Order: sequence, then structure tokens, then C-alpha cells
Amino acid sequence: MTVYESDLPGVGKKHEIELDDGSRLVVVTHNTGKREVFRREDPDADSEKLFELPDSMARQVGTILEGAYFQPVRTDLMETVLEGDTVLEWVGIDDDDPIAGKTLAESGVRQRTGATVIAIQRSGEAITNPGADTRVEPGDTLIVIGSREQCQDFESEVSGD
Amino acid sequence: MAAGLLDIGAAFLVLAFAGAVATRVGLSVVPLYVVAGVLVGPNVAGELGLPYVPTGEVLTVFGELGIVLLLFFLGLEFSIDRLLAARTRIGKAGLLDVGVNFPLGVGLGLLFGWSALESLLLGGIVYISSSAIITKSLVDLGWVADPESEPVLGTLVFEDLVIALYLAVVTPLVLGGGGFEATAGRVGVAIVVLLALAVVARAGTTVFDSLLDGVSGEAVTLRVLGVTVPVAGAALALGVSEAVAAFFVGVGFAGTGHVERIERLLTSLRDAFAAAFFLYIGLQTDPALIVEVALPLAVVVAVTAPAKLVSGFYGGRIFGLNDRRSARVGAALVARGEFSLIIAALATAGGLPERVAALAVGYVLVMSLLGTMLMGQSAVVERVVLRVSERGEPSAAD
Repeated sequence: MTVYESDLPGVGKKHEIELDDGSRLVVVTHNTGKREVFRREDPDADSEKLFELPDSMARQVGTILEGAYFQPVRTDLMETVLEGDTVLEWVGIDDDDPIAGKTLAESGVRQRTGATVIAIQRSGEAITNPGADTRVEPGDTLIVIGSREQCQDFESEVSGD
Repeated sequence: MAAGLLDIGAAFLVLAFAGAVATRVGLSVVPLYVVAGVLVGPNVAGELGLPYVPTGEVLTVFGELGIVLLLFFLGLEFSIDRLLAARTRIGKAGLLDVGVNFPLGVGLGLLFGWSALESLLLGGIVYISSSAIITKSLVDLGWVADPESEPVLGTLVFEDLVIALYLAVVTPLVLGGGGFEATAGRVGVAIVVLLALAVVARAGTTVFDSLLDGVSGEAVTLRVLGVTVPVAGAALALGVSEAVAAFFVGVGFAGTGHVERIERLLTSLRDAFAAAFFLYIGLQTDPALIVEVALPLAVVVAVTAPAKLVSGFYGGRIFGLNDRRSARVGAALVARGEFSLIIAALATAGGLPERVAALAVGYVLVMSLLGTMLMGQSAVVERVVLRVSERGEPSAAD
């Protein structure tokens, strides 16, 4: 993401943010604190004003955009992409999941899906590199590594779908 | 006491009314303040036997404060670093601007058979665009978000510097009578004082900074005024431009970390006193004199409006803008306003023939309206420019 900053003598400051579709978001911050937000479709187009906010409101909206009030992250199904197609996935275990109460070996989930459990989060602690005889309990979060497809299989396997 | 308060009260009432009319019809406030001043002043209302607003001592001082604060703000927003960072582009566009428009004004003055000094003033009057009107229009039309705002505001910054130097030289010439030696002496004093001010502006930043560190709103306002106004008054007492002195004090404050606070606190003060200045100019103006200079006024408008359009257009091209956006730069720079009126006030103060001030006031009224109109109807200007450039110079366009 590229941000261009320029001075507007007598007015304030201008920030232009390049968006993925080639358009630009233009934020004019007046010396009075007022923010004006424009969008420019392409370099030749005229900026279209989207909205303006007084200083205090702009700050509040800013913190919402920043994620201070709400983070759009699902904790029971969070994945992290490693190199290539390998992903790390967090899988939450409920009472009625078939895997609950079984050891990893008993569940046979690795043989069937190819995804490996590399850690278990349980009541605030992490069991790293769990052995085949480690028992999965309801409320656990399993941290699983594998290809995207393997992880998807794993997920449907443990939840019994 | 009561009479003075009533006069000032009437002045602000008239200004408030003129401002409301300006907002209602979508015009810049500057010409309306001036017109309101003409109408309620001794030359129109007074002539008709109606009660009129006199140019009392208080209003004169208020107007003077308006000039001081206008120039103080220019200094406050003036950044040598910014000018240096974009020196090639702003410098080229700015030199083109002054190189075309200033000599044109001087030449027209000489053509009318005016004295060299009057012609020099006319050069300044037609050269300097109005930061107040143009900046407001840029914001109102949303052009601030587009690339054309950069050459426009850049050119205005360059003009600010030129006008500061110009006023520094011209003020002692206008205010002094007397022979060559006396004038030369005054110019000498002016240059010394200005050099001293420039040094103070550079070195004074640390002092100004500690002056404002950790103090609250009211104290900031008073301390800034407590520095700026006495310096401007002392400068005027020495025959140096009070406006330029205020400009350098502003530059000194620009280096402190308090610029935004000063702007926030003093903007409304500047606007009120600047409005008083515009009203004062109007009160001083006899519309009969403007009618007398109607012919030269028409010539000056007919020559300098297109000249600004062209110099602005090429200024935009220097910034790498396409023809359409460059046309807008030209249209934006047409409006003249507060600085031309400051020069008019200087001419009056120096006892120059009334035609100079009368022409300046008429010129500002026309150009401020024409400038805002051209910006509002920029599509028309763009079409004309595109047609000309397509027909005229197919190769130079790209």
C-alpha cells in the first residue's frame, strides 16, 4: 500500500492512499481539524467527495477502522498461511465432537486426513508436540498443520460432518 | 464613547449582513464586504443624506490590524523548506507568473501616462492573486483533493514571498515625499530593518517556542499579538511596511511547534479584522472615481485576466499536469483580492493620486467575481483550452 503525503499551504495536509483497484482515496486534513475524504477513480478523473467529519468524530471513526472495538477474527477457525500451500489452523473442540475423549491415536484422524496436530491449547496452556496417546478433551483448541485441503478434511472429520 | 461603539457596531452589522448575502448567492465575501462599505459609507449613503458609517479612528486601526494579521498568517504558513524542496517546479511556475503579470501591469500604467511610482503599484496590484478567495474556492469545489491544487497553492506561496519583498521596497518609496536623498535614506533604513527582521525570524524561533510552551489558549493569543502588533507598529514608525514586518514575525512563529494552535486560535480574529479592512477600503472609495477610471479599468481587466490564465496554464504544465488540469490552474489564479487592496491602501496613505486606489478597488471587484466564476464554470474554460491546444500545437501536447 502506498501513501502519498503533501502539504496544502493555508489549508492543511493531503494524504492519498492507493487502493487495489487503481483508484485513490484522498484524505484532506484541514488546519481546523476537519477531515474530507474523497475518492478518485483514475488519475484523470475528478475526485468525488465521499464524506467529511469534524476532528473528534474523525478520530473515533479512525479507531473503529483500526479495529480497536472489534476484530473480525474467528478464534475457533483461524488459519495462518506458511510457504506454499501449507496452513496452520486452529480447530476448537466441542462436547459433542466425535474426537472428544479419544486419544489422537484412537481417533486415527491423521491417517485419514494427513493433517498433523502440532499443539493443543487447554485452559490457558499449550501442550506442544502432543504424543499419540494424548487425549483430546472438550474445550481444547487443536493447532493443526497440513495442506489447505488436509486441514479442511481434518476440520470436518473432528466435528463429525 | 457611545458614538465610537455605535460606529463599530454598525460596521460589524453591515459586515455580517454582507457575509450572509455572499453565502446566499454563492459569491466570495471579499467583494461584497467592499461593496457594502461603498454603499453604507460617506460617498453613497452620506451623499444621499442617509445615516452612514464614518471611517473613524477605531475602524482604521481595526483595518490596519486586518492587514497585519493577514500577512502574519502568510508568514505562519510560509515554509522556506517547502519552497526549497519543490524549488524547481514552484520556482519556475512562480517566476513565469511574476515575469508575465508584473511587467504587464507596470507597462499598462506607463501606457496610461501614470508616473513611474503609480505604474509600479499597478504592477503589484495586477500581479498578486488572492490567497483568501482562491484557497476558499479550492476547498469549496473540492479541487484541494486533485493535482491542480499543488501548482495553485505553490504559486500562491511564491507570490507571498514576492509580495513581501515588493512591499518592503515600495512602502518607503510611497510613504516618503522629499528628494532623492531622503527617499534613498528611507529605503536604506527599510532594508536594514528587514534584514534584522529576517535574522530575528530565523533566530527568534527558539524564543517564540519557549514563549508559547505549556501555556493555554488565551495566553497564546495574547502573546502572539503582543509580539506581532508592536513589531508591526514599530516598523511603520520607522517607515517600513508593517505588513512585511508582520510577515517575518509569522515566519518566526512558523518554526515553532505551535503553528496549528496559533492558527486555530487566531483565525477568527484574523477574519474579523480582515473583514474590517475590506469594509474600511469600501468606506474610503468614491464610486464616482471608479466610474472615472472605467476605461483604463476595462483595459487592465481585458489584458491581465487572459495573461493570468495563460501564465497559470503553463504553470500547471510545469507541474506535469495535462491540458485540462492546467486550464484549471489558470482559472484558479485569476481572482485578485486582499493584497491588491493592501497596495491600494498604501497608495492612499502615501497621498498618491486617487485614481490608483480607485482602479485597484474596481479591479478587485471585477477580478474576484470573474475568478470565482471561472472556477465555478471551469468546464467551459477547459473546453476552450482543449480546442485551442488541439488545433494549435498537436505535438507539444504530449
